[in-house]
Amino acid sequence: MSNKLELSNETKAKLRELRILSDKAEAGEKGARRELRRAIRNSTPEVVAKASDIARKGYKILIGTAAGGDPMMEEALSARLDIMRAQIAGEDPTPLETLLTERVVSCWLLVQLLEALTSAQLQTGEHMKDKRVPDSFLKVILKWQESAQRRYLSAIRELAQVRKLQSGTRGIQYNTQINLRSE
Amino acid sequence: MGWENRERGGRYYTRSRKVDGRVVREYVGSGLIGELAARFDEAEREKRKIEAARVGLERTHVEAFVAPVVELCEVAEVLCHATLVDGGYRRYQGKWRRKRE
Repeated sequence: MSNKLELSNETKAKLRELRILSDKAEAGEKGARRELRRAIRNSTPEVVAKASDIARKGYKILIGTAAGGDPMMEEALSARLDIMRAQIAGEDPTPLETLLTERVVSCWLLVQLLEALTSAQLQTGEHMKDKRVPDSFLKVILKWQESAQRRYLSAIRELAQVRKLQSGTRGIQYNTQINLRSE
Repeated sequence: MGWENRERGGRYYTRSRKVDGRVVREYVGSGLIGELAARFDEAEREKRKIEAARVGLERTHVEAFVAPVVELCEVAEVLCHATLVDGGYRRYQGKWRRKRE
């Protein structure tokens, strides 16, 4: 399977610049924040477009693998992801929100897929005899799964953080009381 | 692992394996026993080679669908980091906090 989804050198350079400027601004370097703002304004549309392109190609591979060649399943998954995307992004999302939404949805699908892979490997029975992978590889899959889960949670957290920042409001805390005592 | 030629003539089949980090040689036998053991080991090696090739394929397949998500995450992290820093946030013990003006 082809894996040529890499970003162009130009986009990589822009990301590098953003990373350096963010670090400088975070460290409090004079003038870095102004530079960072300029770089964000200049780079964001292009970087978001390129990343969305990667996300789209990534979905194709993920959906194809999850569906296992079943066109009905592919359609159903695709529709499910569209609904998720619309629900998470909400109305009129900013480019960054769109990108972070893509990230949440991609990570969710990856977590589901890796979970399905591991649980298939943990099944017992004759039908699994030739399909079982060695324990060493199962460990690798479990590590990927763990990392995907971490990325998924971090994607949700960062989207919430960006929304909070963009709305300019403080975080809202919900307290729910659950009564456990029976009457 | 293999056949050893003895000074008195004849061949002897041996196996080498690691025990607690040291190579230990096991003397299996000559003649038919050695021959059978050698064939068995050969078949085991073939089996392991096929298994390694299968795992390699599986790994490539899994990497192919993990890679784009990882790449997307990295791009999003950079942009998100930049936006939050620009918005006056900074990381404190791994969490984003608003910087006091």
